[in-house]
Amino acid sequence: MNEQMMQSIPLSTRIRLARNLKEYPFPAKLSAEEKQLVNETVRDALLDGDDAGNYRYIEMKDLSSTEAVSLAEKHLISPEFASSADGRALILSNDETVSIMLCEEDHVRIQVIEPGLSLDKAWEKANALDEKLAARLTVAFDEKLGYLTQCPTNLGTALRASVMLHLPALSRAGLMPRLSSTIAKLGLTLRGTYGEGSKIVGELYQLSNQVTLGISEQAAIQNLAAIARQIMEQETAARETLRTDNVFIDRIYRANGILQSAYMLTCSECTDLLSLVRLGAALGILDVPLDTLTKLLTAIQPATLSVQEGRVLPAAQRDVLRAQKVKEALQNA
Amino acid sequence: MLCQNCSKAQATTHIKRIINGEATEQHLCAACAKKLGFDSFFDDFSLSIPNFFSGFFSDAVPALAGRKTERCETCGSSFDEIVRTGMVGCADCYETFYDKLLPSIQRIHGRARHAGKTPPQVVAAEQTAAPKETAAPTREQQIEALQKQMQQAIDSQNFEQAAVLRDNIKALREEQ
Repeated sequence: MNEQMMQSIPLSTRIRLARNLKEYPFPAKLSAEEKQLVNETVRDALLDGDDAGNYRYIEMKDLSSTEAVSLAEKHLISPEFASSADGRALILSNDETVSIMLCEEDHVRIQVIEPGLSLDKAWEKANALDEKLAARLTVAFDEKLGYLTQCPTNLGTALRASVMLHLPALSRAGLMPRLSSTIAKLGLTLRGTYGEGSKIVGELYQLSNQVTLGISEQAAIQNLAAIARQIMEQETAARETLRTDNVFIDRIYRANGILQSAYMLTCSECTDLLSLVRLGAALGILDVPLDTLTKLLTAIQPATLSVQEGRVLPAAQRDVLRAQKVKEALQNA
Repeated sequence: MLCQNCSKAQATTHIKRIINGEATEQHLCAACAKKLGFDSFFDDFSLSIPNFFSGFFSDAVPALAGRKTERCETCGSSFDEIVRTGMVGCADCYETFYDKLLPSIQRIHGRARHAGKTPPQVVAAEQTAAPKETAAPTREQQIEALQKQMQQAIDSQNFEQAAVLRDNIKALREEQ
């Protein structure tokens, strides 16, 4: 199996742990003031000494909605968390690999993002933060039900591990519906990149564990890694068959041509073209660093573009700016 | 493209659904999309989990009718509220409504018991409480311990001992 091709498939790995403080009701039962108290208690427990300098504590009400949506586009917070600022706060590491949502669905949601397929490393980092939290605050826990969460679907380990996969060849072969239903039988889900209910863009999928009770953290992670590798192997095999498809190769070159010369690009067109070019680069047809393309997939999102520009842009202006950014990035790559 | 529902306005909402492996597509204008319940992505996101989850509880509701409302002493939630919102009020609700919540939890996770890590305070508390527990293990715990021994016996190919353990487990189960 072509290992280099395999490694081009996973874009990032995320680990999310949900925790609640024993002495407070869950967030839906708290007023904005009580939420703030919870947020500050967690902040004081987690941010001290060496760590203080590495993190920022952000009250969501201090961010504009564009800034909040941009954080969601970067997967640092959930779209749901971005949709309301009331009593919510975020602890964000300066390198944007650790984000801790406070008073989202649960009091604390620790999230670690690592590039590529790196479940063990992400788990170690998230677990270290959890250990620190549990050493200082009493966490809601039950011997039988595990970590207690506002929504019973997260009981047990309250761990959600996910890997973002670029699956253009399997998508084009029409194999995704079948793959999704097989995966559901294994206690995992495969869905759009922005989670529950989000549509599939750029042939990017999020593979994550579904069952959290009755399975240890290690077992859940190993299971997910094993399935991710199997999907990556299938995608690699499907990509190999595309090498001899001239019509398809032509589409890859054309996509690259449009990205290098268009004056305006909408977000969805741009994402679709980047997906094709990324596939072309992984196949060795185009000489573009994968990393550049992966970064562009986030950088071209509407709110992220506006934040970079320092003001909210109307859609048409954003499309011009997007085309310009993509052109620059590809020419400098 | 015109809206497939009213055929008047421009379709701006495109809905793809896969039901039992069959994909269907709908193209709707904003007004019709809203009318038919396909709101914006963010709205949908915040609603979907509780709505989905409250479906799990639905059959437990009739049993509650005509009874005095039991409320969680810590946060004041009633079971009815938990059913409606799909969200549990506080950690103590899990204890107060344990029996009522359990069927729904089992439907989501199967007949499972927590198998992951335990917070340090709980580990420490268990260690001090341990002698009491070993003094009078419940039948369930005895069976669990015997099953473990039986598995070990099988793993080490000690089948005679495994057979004895199996009979012991059977006897304990019958007593139950």
